Amino acid sequence: MAIKTEPLVVNIGPQHPSTHGVFRMRVTLDGELITDAEMVIGYLHRSMEKLAEERTWTQNIPFTDRMDYLAAMTGNFAYCITVEKLAGIEVPERAEYLRVIFAELQRIASHAMANGTFVNDCGAWQTPLFYMFREREKILDLFEMTCGARLTLNYMRIGGVAFDIPDEFLPQLQLLVDELPDRFDEYDQLLVDNEILLMRSRDIGIISAEDAMNASLSGPMLRGSGVAWDVRKGDPYGVYDRFDFEIPVGHTGDCFDRFMVRMAEVRQSLSIIKQAMEQLPPGNHCAEVPLNFRPPEGEIYCRIESPKGELGYYLISDGSPFPFRFHVRSPSLINLSALKEMVVGQTVADAIVTLGSIDINVGEVDR
Amino acid sequence: MSLLANWYDFRDLGNPVARLIEALQDAGLSGGWIYAISGLLGAIGILSFVGVAAVINIWIERRLIGRIQVRRGPNRVGPFGLLQPVADAIKLIQKEALQPDNADGIMFTLAPIVIFIPAILAFSVLPWGEHMVLADLNVGVLFLLALSSTTTIIIFMAGYASNNKYAILGSMRVIAMLISYELPVVLALLGVVLFAGTMSLTGIVSFQETYWSWLIFFQPLAFLIFLLGSTAELNRTPADIAEAESEIVAGFHIEYSGMKFGLFYAVELVNTVAVSAIIASLFFGGWWTYGLEEFIPGWILFIGKIYSIYFIFIWFRGTLPRFRVDQLMAFAWKVLLPLALINAMMVALEIFIWTEYEISAGIVLPIFAVVNFALAGVLIVGFGRVMSRTMERFPKLPRLVKDIDVPLPEPSTA
Amino acid sequence: MDDLGVVIAFWALAAMTIGAAAMLILVRNLMHAILFLILSFVGVAGLYITLSADFVAVAQVLIYAGAISVLMIFAVMLTPLSERDNSGNFLQLPALVLSGLVIAGVTFVALETEWREAGRGSFDTTAAEIGEALLSPFVLPFEIASVLLVAAMIGAIVIVRDD
Repeated sequence: MAIKTEPLVVNIGPQHPSTHGVFRMRVTLDGELITDAEMVIGYLHRSMEKLAEERTWTQNIPFTDRMDYLAAMTGNFAYCITVEKLAGIEVPERAEYLRVIFAELQRIASHAMANGTFVNDCGAWQTPLFYMFREREKILDLFEMTCGARLTLNYMRIGGVAFDIPDEFLPQLQLLVDELPDRFDEYDQLLVDNEILLMRSRDIGIISAEDAMNASLSGPMLRGSGVAWDVRKGDPYGVYDRFDFEIPVGHTGDCFDRFMVRMAEVRQSLSIIKQAMEQLPPGNHCAEVPLNFRPPEGEIYCRIESPKGELGYYLISDGSPFPFRFHVRSPSLINLSALKEMVVGQTVADAIVTLGSIDINVGEVDR
Repeated sequence: MSLLANWYDFRDLGNPVARLIEALQDAGLSGGWIYAISGLLGAIGILSFVGVAAVINIWIERRLIGRIQVRRGPNRVGPFGLLQPVADAIKLIQKEALQPDNADGIMFTLAPIVIFIPAILAFSVLPWGEHMVLADLNVGVLFLLALSSTTTIIIFMAGYASNNKYAILGSMRVIAMLISYELPVVLALLGVVLFAGTMSLTGIVSFQETYWSWLIFFQPLAFLIFLLGSTAELNRTPADIAEAESEIVAGFHIEYSGMKFGLFYAVELVNTVAVSAIIASLFFGGWWTYGLEEFIPGWILFIGKIYSIYFIFIWFRGTLPRFRVDQLMAFAWKVLLPLALINAMMVALEIFIWTEYEISAGIVLPIFAVVNFALAGVLIVGFGRVMSRTMERFPKLPRLVKDIDVPLPEPSTA
Repeated sequence: MDDLGVVIAFWALAAMTIGAAAMLILVRNLMHAILFLILSFVGVAGLYITLSADFVAVAQVLIYAGAISVLMIFAVMLTPLSERDNSGNFLQLPALVLSGLVIAGVTFVALETEWREAGRGSFDTTAAEIGEALLSPFVLPFEIASVLLVAAMIGAIVIVRDD
């Protein structure tokens, strides 16, 4: 004897505390079990790719801040490196190292944010989030010290970085690098040994290595599934081939693996920063690039490893001061595309945890 | 002038009231009037405590959570931010009380008001001092359980009346959860009631006074079960699945705004104090503190105990993530319920031994204490082993790979 | 004054109980009907208190208002939305006749019985006596009732199983 029940269609978002912005998930529920899910994006679409065609190559850098606003530095980095490759501009050594330091700092900040909100989605009453904010705050202080901005940095320029670091930067960074491992050990104790967190995140939102590769996922999503792939190793850009670091790889591809991969990546980033600080050469921080420079005609795709995954820029130049085409391969969007497969058959609570473990940034999803 | 004879004895606020009643009797008032007046005095006392507690608790909770979360918490309004709750209340009162279009108007308005009734009634049976109890029911413990079971319906009323899918989800969760958690809580209290041999809270406190020992020393397992079970019944982290901010936004009170929301917020705090008070009187001797109540008024000690236990709830809230619904149910049915049953059976056995062989309490009670603590330890460790057998206790950390192990794609040049 | 208080309480509770019971069959919304039913249960519990039966009163609230009503809420929530009204059907006439007969019977008995007035009892420890009664003279019916409940529970589980 079956009891007649009706499916319940619930809109999770666009205004929901756990959708990390204005992402909307239309789920069909049987009780609390998700039988169907539909992703609705576009609430934060600002038409950046089109707007960029009306602005000069240099003027487009602030747009890249506002895509993944939690990792503005890597957005800058990816765009600048693409344009430099297109125009064949040599970047001074010092600028390359500064870029690595700042990109890795940004990765730590972004991963701290991602893990904090992830545990928050698991229901911890914001405590881990505030702890992670504390570390992120120190990194943002360093950013502010250097370029005056904290969130939308607009720090990198085509041919280098906008400013050289101030004198007090390196000692402060040293303090931070010495302090952060202890802090993250503490979070390991707090979170990784927490039975409830394990119950909530293990074997939840599993995506297998094959599926992850077929869905073209990248970043911690891909590595959590057990695929050792990192653009910094596989297709080194900048001076990344000079550093010695490891790729953390998960086992089953569940939410917990993605969480742990991020935790481990923070430590790897710290080790890269340490090496970069030791090797930091003196010299000029930016190559001479004319303000209205015109790259030669041509098209290019270049990618970097952003905190969220593979961030690529596809640019076409027609020889004018404006890009003819400005396309972004945003990791958030492509990682998000796997969400439906991961959440169908789970409960609402699991879906929220899964979404949190993907670490999307709606600014980058919608652009 | 018997009114003035002992009125200043504030160690037990029952004393001044008793003097007053004597004076009224001398004045020739009939029993009914005196009954009504003394009841009114008690009600005023309890209501003023509840009102002050609800306001102060907002501040305490926010400050403590702030400390736990390495921030300061409210510190702007008044000294140490003490007036923050007042500011909150002013803000809530002047907000528009929105009501969804298709909401069930009467139920929607009634729910936040009615939900206060069980919360306040719970205080009426608590003994604040030897003579300081408003209604010394001899079924006090059962009365408290009955009150907690009615809260379910009222929360469901709120969720159903809101006509919101999140609210319905939340209220169905509440019902499922409260039904599951009522059983272990009742069985845990059964252990206490069996041990003390009475269901009256005054009786339980005086039992602890007679045998010169808090009941937690005899009933550690019941204490733990009650603490965890009541965390769930109170809808607090880690069992706040009914409100589950990150999942179903605010659950049953998602559509409430203004002071109606404020009432739900306040009643949660009042309920937490009520449960802390129940724990304090059942397991920690209530007003009785090994003779200390001779020097410090018992009700102040009692309030101290209430807030010590309240601190545990705040601590839970500040540190723990939330269970999933099914995990929470599994915890109730697979862990708490068997433990509570074993505990109740153990107590029955002990009481049987005690009464049947007429052993003096001085010999038998320390043995019971040791046995019960050992039992609690064995059971908790054993259940932990059994429950976590399916799960590796320590998770596999990510392996660190030196190099990529996927085929390198074509070089990305134009 | 003492008796007056009890008398006032009795009439107020009786009015509440019967009023709620009347509303229970008059309202069309099933959810409201359940809430009126709960109000009626609480009223009955109040009546028990005026009769000095505190254990029964508390048990009434715990079991009827707290548990039985939750079952009814589940029943209503599991019925499809379209039928969540008290809809009229062809059983109205038989129901009217039947309830009329019941009312007539109860009225007849109430009028014909010679009622004896009992003095008002006091709040004694009723719980202990009920416990004694359940476990010594009435232990057989008590155990049979619990076996019946277990059987019902197992039956329910068997019915809702998927296979």
